[in-house]
Amino acid sequence: MLDQVWFPLYITLKISLASSLIVAILGTLISYILARREFVGKWLVDVLVTLPMILPPTVTGYMLVVLLGKNGILGKVLFDLTGIRLLFTWQAAVIAAFVVSLPLMVKTATAAIEAVDRELEYVAYTLGRNELETALFITLPLAKKGILAGIVLSFARAVGEFGATLMVAGNIPGRTNTMAISIYSAFQGGNSELANTLVIILVLMSLISMAVTTKLVNSWKI
Amino acid sequence: MGIKVDFRKRFYKGNDRKKGKEPSFTVDVSFEAGNELVVLFGQSGSGKTTTLRCIAGLEKPNGGKITVNGTVYFDCHTRIDLPPQKRSLGYVFQNYALFPHMDVKKNITYGLKGRTDQEKERRMREMLRLLHIEGLEDHYPSQLSGGQKQRVALARALAPGPDILLLDEPFSALDMIVRMKLRERIKLIQKELNIPVLFITHNPVEAFTLADRVVVYHEGTVQQTGTPEEVFYHPKNIHVAELAGVTNIFDDAVFAGHVGKDRALFKAGELEIITRHIDLRTDERVSWGIRPENITLLNPDKDNIELYENHFNGKVMSIVNKGTSKLIAVGSNNDRRVLVSELSNKACEELNLFQGCSCTFSFASRDILIFV
Repeated sequence: MLDQVWFPLYITLKISLASSLIVAILGTLISYILARREFVGKWLVDVLVTLPMILPPTVTGYMLVVLLGKNGILGKVLFDLTGIRLLFTWQAAVIAAFVVSLPLMVKTATAAIEAVDRELEYVAYTLGRNELETALFITLPLAKKGILAGIVLSFARAVGEFGATLMVAGNIPGRTNTMAISIYSAFQGGNSELANTLVIILVLMSLISMAVTTKLVNSWKI
Repeated sequence: MGIKVDFRKRFYKGNDRKKGKEPSFTVDVSFEAGNELVVLFGQSGSGKTTTLRCIAGLEKPNGGKITVNGTVYFDCHTRIDLPPQKRSLGYVFQNYALFPHMDVKKNITYGLKGRTDQEKERRMREMLRLLHIEGLEDHYPSQLSGGQKQRVALARALAPGPDILLLDEPFSALDMIVRMKLRERIKLIQKELNIPVLFITHNPVEAFTLADRVVVYHEGTVQQTGTPEEVFYHPKNIHVAELAGVTNIFDDAVFAGHVGKDRALFKAGELEIITRHIDLRTDERVSWGIRPENITLLNPDKDNIELYENHFNGKVMSIVNKGTSKLIAVGSNNDRRVLVSELSNKACEELNLFQGCSCTFSFASRDILIFV
């Protein structure tokens, strides 16, 4: 019983934290570029990033399988070069969580960065600061509430991820059985005691992370 | 030394540029100035801010050359286009643009990259003293008044020791008294630093009191450059005249010949007006104007009307009290033209004016502006 509870909790946190870390870094970068740069094909980047928010997670998952599978476009290259198989590993679940939660981050953070007064950036330029310094010390600090909100939403989305994860990582006990998937299989198997325990833990976890974030954001003046 | 500006910047609507259509607006600007206080004066949307942004490198002109203090900032031919970071300039935006997440000290020292903490501290103290804002260094922008914010923004722009200072309507959101004080401060700072200071305003009083040189803008082009006296008393054309407060402008003067050696006669509708000497072809039609303060109302009891040039009979249409003076709209009896006269309160009292009363108005030949 203990392993049936602790392992899903452990693997869910591991996958969600790893995915959120990538989302935080790549998502901020993508959001900054979408908010501040004009380039050919910008709309395409926007569409591609947003698509997993609209598609059913199983469709996203299926596309990832096609892409990352042993015979998939990226999966084949990876397998031929390194012998690594990605599907049905926790890393595959991280990729699934990343793809489905990225749009939440990008939408929230782009709006926050766009809302930063451009004149503040121009002032920084006239004071001799380059774009990277300006982004790191002016733009992003002023958009930090929106960026943090995006990261929190993405983390929550990753914790709750079910469909795409099931497609790319399966439900292998002791390897890829996340909380959301374990709840479903416990329910299917009639193990309501386990399902109840997992549900309570998941709800408590969500409440605590939300309370902590709200407190943190409220302590920021700007 | 000083500044040489000569550039063109075209603005297009939507995809017009790709379609090869004409630009919807063009800013084509050329002027020169020394280390002095230059006021860019004109209505909103006449290209003043675009000029500052092009000088600062925040916008790229389509052609031309911009030189500040001997350094070429932009040159279309040699493809020089220094990024804003490499142009040594201080820029103060209309809304101050202080970094809200930094205190005054950090704001002011933000441009002092690569200097030691001691140097930064010393420079910050200097700036606080220069702008009379000692004691504010630990405050955040949200804790400052409008005037204080403006001073901090100036301190931040001046701290790195720029070659030129650009001010985009810096006082528009401040009350009168703070404005007057800051104007004086800007003048002193310009004298002390001896750099070109470009100052945008659409306020004629500000332009007149502040400027060593006024650059008058209208619809994207420079109409006239000169001292405030030149621009306000001898406007080159109707656009400058309108901006300079010449309320009475008409386009119907027809040259009718010379009067003696030094004066000319024009017919404007039913009025015959005598002006200073000017050489035109007979029947040539020109615009003419007169400042409201140069139209006097005569007192038939005291003034010998026949001694005055250009006197006409009319009727007072309305009186608007400006506080320190009154604006009198006078309808001429000859044609239905309305002219505005500005009189002191005392003069109005003596004339005992009221709406609808008859009057005689007059203006001197030397005060009439002719725009050929």
